[in-house]
Amino acid sequence: MRALRVLPWGSGGFGTQDHQHDMYLPAFREHAGFTVVESGLPDLTRAVRETGAEVVSVCAPPAERAARVIEALRAGCHVLADKPLALDVAEIEAIAAAAAEAGRVCMPAHHHRFGAAVQAAAGALAAGRVGLPWNVQADFLVDGGDPCPEGELANFGLYPVDVVRALTGQAVRRVHALRAGGRGAITVLLLGHEHGLTSTITVGRLRGTADAPGMALHRYRVSGSGGVMDVDAARPGASVRTVTGNRAAWHGPGTVGRMLTALHTAVVTGRPPEAGPADALAALRVTDAAARSLALGTPVPIDSPEV
Amino acid sequence: MESHSVPVPVLLVGTGFIAAQHAAAIHAEPRLELAGVVDVDPERAAAASRANGGVPAFADLAAALAGTGAGGCVVCTPNDTHADIAVQVAEAGAHLLIEKPLATGVAGARRAVEAFAAAGRVLMPAHSHRYYDYARTVRDVLRSGELGTVDLVRLSILGGWIWPDWRGWMLDPVRSGGHALHNGVHLLDLVTWWTGDTPESVYARGRRQTAAELGVHDYLEMTVSFGGGATAVCEMSRGHRPASLARRDVMVAGTGGILTLPWDGEAGTVTDEAGTALLPPGGADGFAAQIGAWADAVTGGPPAVTGADGLLAVAMGVAAERSIATGVPVRIADVLKEAP
Repeated sequence: MRALRVLPWGSGGFGTQDHQHDMYLPAFREHAGFTVVESGLPDLTRAVRETGAEVVSVCAPPAERAARVIEALRAGCHVLADKPLALDVAEIEAIAAAAAEAGRVCMPAHHHRFGAAVQAAAGALAAGRVGLPWNVQADFLVDGGDPCPEGELANFGLYPVDVVRALTGQAVRRVHALRAGGRGAITVLLLGHEHGLTSTITVGRLRGTADAPGMALHRYRVSGSGGVMDVDAARPGASVRTVTGNRAAWHGPGTVGRMLTALHTAVVTGRPPEAGPADALAALRVTDAAARSLALGTPVPIDSPEV
Repeated sequence: MESHSVPVPVLLVGTGFIAAQHAAAIHAEPRLELAGVVDVDPERAAAASRANGGVPAFADLAAALAGTGAGGCVVCTPNDTHADIAVQVAEAGAHLLIEKPLATGVAGARRAVEAFAAAGRVLMPAHSHRYYDYARTVRDVLRSGELGTVDLVRLSILGGWIWPDWRGWMLDPVRSGGHALHNGVHLLDLVTWWTGDTPESVYARGRRQTAAELGVHDYLEMTVSFGGGATAVCEMSRGHRPASLARRDVMVAGTGGILTLPWDGEAGTVTDEAGTALLPPGGADGFAAQIGAWADAVTGGPPAVTGADGLLAVAMGVAAERSIATGVPVRIADVLKEAP
């Protein structure tokens, strides 16, 4: 396996998030397909030249993330970008154009779509195991942790929206959103997709139970013309119950490690990446529409075709 | 307040699909006695009589009430007959346990409620799920306060069996009121009972999954917004595949924690050539508990479910059907004020 030199750039996120140090760097260091290189230079383009980086892991703060992603692409690097890839449609379109022009991979870190259970389900759905899917019910409820100042819809709402897209391949055409609870910590997304598919996604953060932090629920039920598929993305896992509390345990690559494998494969084979700017744009359109729906109290259409 | 040292004579009105469960519950309740069966189809009435020890059979409710001196009726007729029958029972001075929905519209439900208020008799809509172990468990956990304030409820009741064939009145939206009225009210009533909150609006989506020609939506998703801030997503399906599918799934998230009651949480599973199915859960008999609650009310206790509960569930069902038709949320208050 050819090891790609990866340069971490930035450690900013919403609120107190530092996905670079908490998620991506440990996974890059553990992955045989990558070698982490670092630079003390304040300029990204010069740091790329100095280190000979082939990949940049961009976790610049959200407001400047798009600019750094484009800079890395123009410096000839492939990019793994923290989510959200950018804050508005124009920025994502600019990133998509820059990636196409540079012929480089730009992968938004939608790592939950790379989970083993999700990918197995996506393959089975694509093979017709439950016929034509007509409904998805999903729960993405985080247990505890730091609440996001920008709200959890903006923070991680894109994850389950992206997974539903990865599972079904059906673009969202209509969005109705409701707040669940007075704290605004949970949002219910009622989505209308192509081909009459509907999905309902609950997304939010619980205050934190005795076993927090972790995922309280991360699951998808897909109903099709021929059957029903249940995907518990919190699996696989062994349950360990002790006098000090309960936890799950499992060996094997997690969602971030599997995402890096997909990134490596796309870079070394030249095949289209399994997640790209189009997926970030699709998710952003949904979360933006959800915010509009919450403000209006009524469903809103998504008219624009996806890139 | 009434008290009875002898069993209250009860008529079973309508002898279709669900009547046998009510009859069995009446037989098991010492405070009640089955006094007769009523059905507009004399052959069905006769068959029900034979199945219940030869109790008198009637084709006419008025004749049955007069002939037996019944103090109560358990009504299991098609939904569009409920309001008129309820008024007739009230005017005869009898108590009533009536299959859900109380009526197929708010005006009918209100007529029934007012008739029983005037008669001073018990009107109890048969929202039978309130008496099932799972529903009582969820209610008890929520009332204990362990979960804090409820933010989110999910209740899914999914089945793969459609009504017998095209002749079933349940498939006729005029007769049944639509699926949100026919079965949806079970869920709408439950989530309201669980949260103890006031429903403000319903956003619903429906599918005709089994056949495009269906007059009702065999799959319903009804999302209820409550005044206190909670949201409930209710799924009711007869359109799932395989046809043998039978699932009930509950999740409640609150400020203090989360409750999950998965579809296989109540019983073991068996996997055979037909697939995976649940073993009988061996819980309490919900119909017996329901008839017991009605007997409590008939003999002077407080009713477990009121006519007002039934009216509210009907309004929520109407709102759900209207939301499916219009594609936008429908306010319960707007539905209720159409028939003040």
